[in-house]
Amino acid sequence: MPSNDELTLLRRVATKDRRAFEALYHLYYRRLFGYLLKLTRRADLVEEVLNDVMLAIWKGAASFDGRSRPSTWIFGIAYHKALKAIARRPQEPQGTAEESAEPVDTEEPERLAVRRELASVLGRAIGALSPEQRAVVELTYYYGLAYQEIAEIVGCPVNTVKTRMFHARRRLKELLPELGVSGYAG
Amino acid sequence: MREREDHGERIHRRIWELLPWYVNGSLAERERQQVETHLAGCAGCQAEERACRRTAVAVSGAGEMSPSPHPAQFRRLLDRIEQEELPRRGRLAALLQATPRPLRGALLAQAAMILLLVGALAWGAGRPAPAPAAPSPSAPGVTYRTLSDPVARPARVLRLRLMFSPRATEREVREILLGIRCEIVAGPSPLGVYTVEVPATGDPVGIVLARLRTESQVVFAEPAAGDGATSPGRPPEGLSGR
Repeated sequence: MPSNDELTLLRRVATKDRRAFEALYHLYYRRLFGYLLKLTRRADLVEEVLNDVMLAIWKGAASFDGRSRPSTWIFGIAYHKALKAIARRPQEPQGTAEESAEPVDTEEPERLAVRRELASVLGRAIGALSPEQRAVVELTYYYGLAYQEIAEIVGCPVNTVKTRMFHARRRLKELLPELGVSGYAG
Repeated sequence: MREREDHGERIHRRIWELLPWYVNGSLAERERQQVETHLAGCAGCQAEERACRRTAVAVSGAGEMSPSPHPAQFRRLLDRIEQEELPRRGRLAALLQATPRPLRGALLAQAAMILLLVGALAWGAGRPAPAPAAPSPSAPGVTYRTLSDPVARPARVLRLRLMFSPRATEREVREILLGIRCEIVAGPSPLGVYTVEVPATGDPVGIVLARLRTESQVVFAEPAAGDGATSPGRPPEGLSGR
């Protein structure tokens, strides 16, 4: 959906239009779910944080000034709500997100096994990063965002984004060989 | 000489920092050209660029493990919003706010009509009934009522009969039942039919049924026979404004 349409939805949500809110919820649910799962690595937190995000959108849509894209504003809320939730409930998860939310897949067993192994190894490596570093890695490589946009989402200067990525890359280089993968760090 | 080396090192470091965003294609044109110029003559950055690409492929290939939203989840969110907003304004105001503007007048008129009818019924019930012209000698003590007699139904629960898709998981069934705040009182029958009770003080049965019928995992949702909440075959109440 073009961001103009999203802007229209947000404007309607600002007037407490529940149909628009429901449309926005459905539009963003999967994106936010995936993002929050990647960021928190806590399947038990995702639903709760997602509702926190949507509630904040419902309450704060009128304060959205339109200077950034609606998605940047929404992902920024999600980032801060996720960090708060992690701080509020810091206990270690029982398993990685990949293990606890196994997708149904119909690929050939061998290819599937290789893909899952890679995803699992990388998932563990990224899971070992701090949530702040993880957010920058995921927003860059998974969501394809520019560093300026990431800075806006996480609410920090662009140099901090670059520094977090710098440390994340170094950490991944250390971690991936330990996990039996060579040449994957970047 | 030393200054030139420092300058070269600073450029190398700056380009090295930009590589993840060069790889994801989000750099501005000027920065992209700077990266490409530097990359052409820097083996270290070329190796790093390849590493970034491998990471990008691995991260993007990890898959989006995102389910579709379940209607019960959105309802819970709306419940939470209502809970938070109720202390600030009354339930009626909240209902009016959520109603499209053209329907608000109709809703208020409907509410006024219901109040008038309830008042008229209460007034009628308080008056002494006219004496029957000729009491039936064949059935002493038996009171006959016609279907049009104004008999107030006691406030109680509404019974519904539900069938779920064979593919519905136990969790999905639980979510749906929790979503309408009902209790299972019978079932599943050999055909998989559940009888559930919904508090009569909750949403109108028409709204409850409409919600259930939007659930992909619900294949059948009707008032239980004899419950009288809505007549089978008639559109459920409460849908006219939707």
